Amino acid sequence: MSSSAPLIELLIAMADDELVLGHRDAEWTGHAPILEEDIAFSNIAQDEIGHSLIWYHLLEPLTGLTPDQAAFVRPAKDFRCCRFVAYPKGDFAYTVVRQYLFDEAEQVRLTALAESTNEQLRQAAAKLLPEETYHLLHTKGLVERLGRGTDESRGRMQAALDIAFPQALGMFESLSSEDQLIRLGIFPGHRALQRQWIERILPVLSGASLSVGVDGSGRPLGQPDLGGRIGAHTPYLLEALSDLQRVYNSEPGAIW
Amino acid sequence: MTDTQWSTWEVFHQTKRGDPHEHVGSVHAPDPQMALQLARDQFARRLKCSSLWVVRTSDIVMTDYQDPTFFAQTTDKSYRDPKAFDAPEKRHP
Repeated sequence: MSSSAPLIELLIAMADDELVLGHRDAEWTGHAPILEEDIAFSNIAQDEIGHSLIWYHLLEPLTGLTPDQAAFVRPAKDFRCCRFVAYPKGDFAYTVVRQYLFDEAEQVRLTALAESTNEQLRQAAAKLLPEETYHLLHTKGLVERLGRGTDESRGRMQAALDIAFPQALGMFESLSSEDQLIRLGIFPGHRALQRQWIERILPVLSGASLSVGVDGSGRPLGQPDLGGRIGAHTPYLLEALSDLQRVYNSEPGAIW
Repeated sequence: MTDTQWSTWEVFHQTKRGDPHEHVGSVHAPDPQMALQLARDQFARRLKCSSLWVVRTSDIVMTDYQDPTFFAQTTDKSYRDPKAFDAPEKRHP
């Protein structure tokens, strides 16, 4: 294994998470329940895709793939996003819950990377954190309001959370080179991040009259939805990518 | 059927500190905090912005377009106009 392999693995996982979730969020453009949320979610979608670009740029000297090649040419089996981000957008409750759970994970991930021994990661994390903090403000606000809204809004949010929570645990699936990343001080490891993430989401969810399956010490119950980090994806990723990559592949290498 | 639409909030945008806040439009929102967030997405994403105000539309007291008398100027008031010097249009510092 080359010395940069662990860093590549981490960067691909983060870049692909952002790209695929950004694509799923963008599917609301023109379809969100109200105009203002349509624009807000389109904005979040563009931000996430922009964040993937930052990670793909860092990958370019390590893999030789340009960001366009990484996003538009790579086959699904080479993607390392978690399964969670690739699922269809569902109803708006599912989208809000997924984006909220992802935004909280981004907070712990980027806050940790802001302390990384790798300078490029530190700088990128510092650049992304303010935008991610705004996403979180927005989605947390929606979770709190919809959770405490009407019986229907609470019911839909809880139903979405029941589906999304085990999927979201897949964000913290270990990387094969995780031990090395931890030893080198590049990244504190997904187990630590998941613990911090759960500490953050529990009070927010209970304040919104919503609940997730965890035991008394905050350990998740039930099966996490793993596989994405080793390329064992669901058919939904293929579906999302065939949409995402269609235009590029209709005229590969075209200059716009 | 009850109206489930969120109420509207008027949005005032300030480009840089010291400039006046200018009315730029309105947003639907359930409460003041969400109104500010949604106003940010609608009006401060591309425009440079240093401050936003939101005001519940129903809290604005307004004149009535149908009232012909409120702004009526029926007598000659030209003697009030400053004609002897230029008054440049100047914004607040």
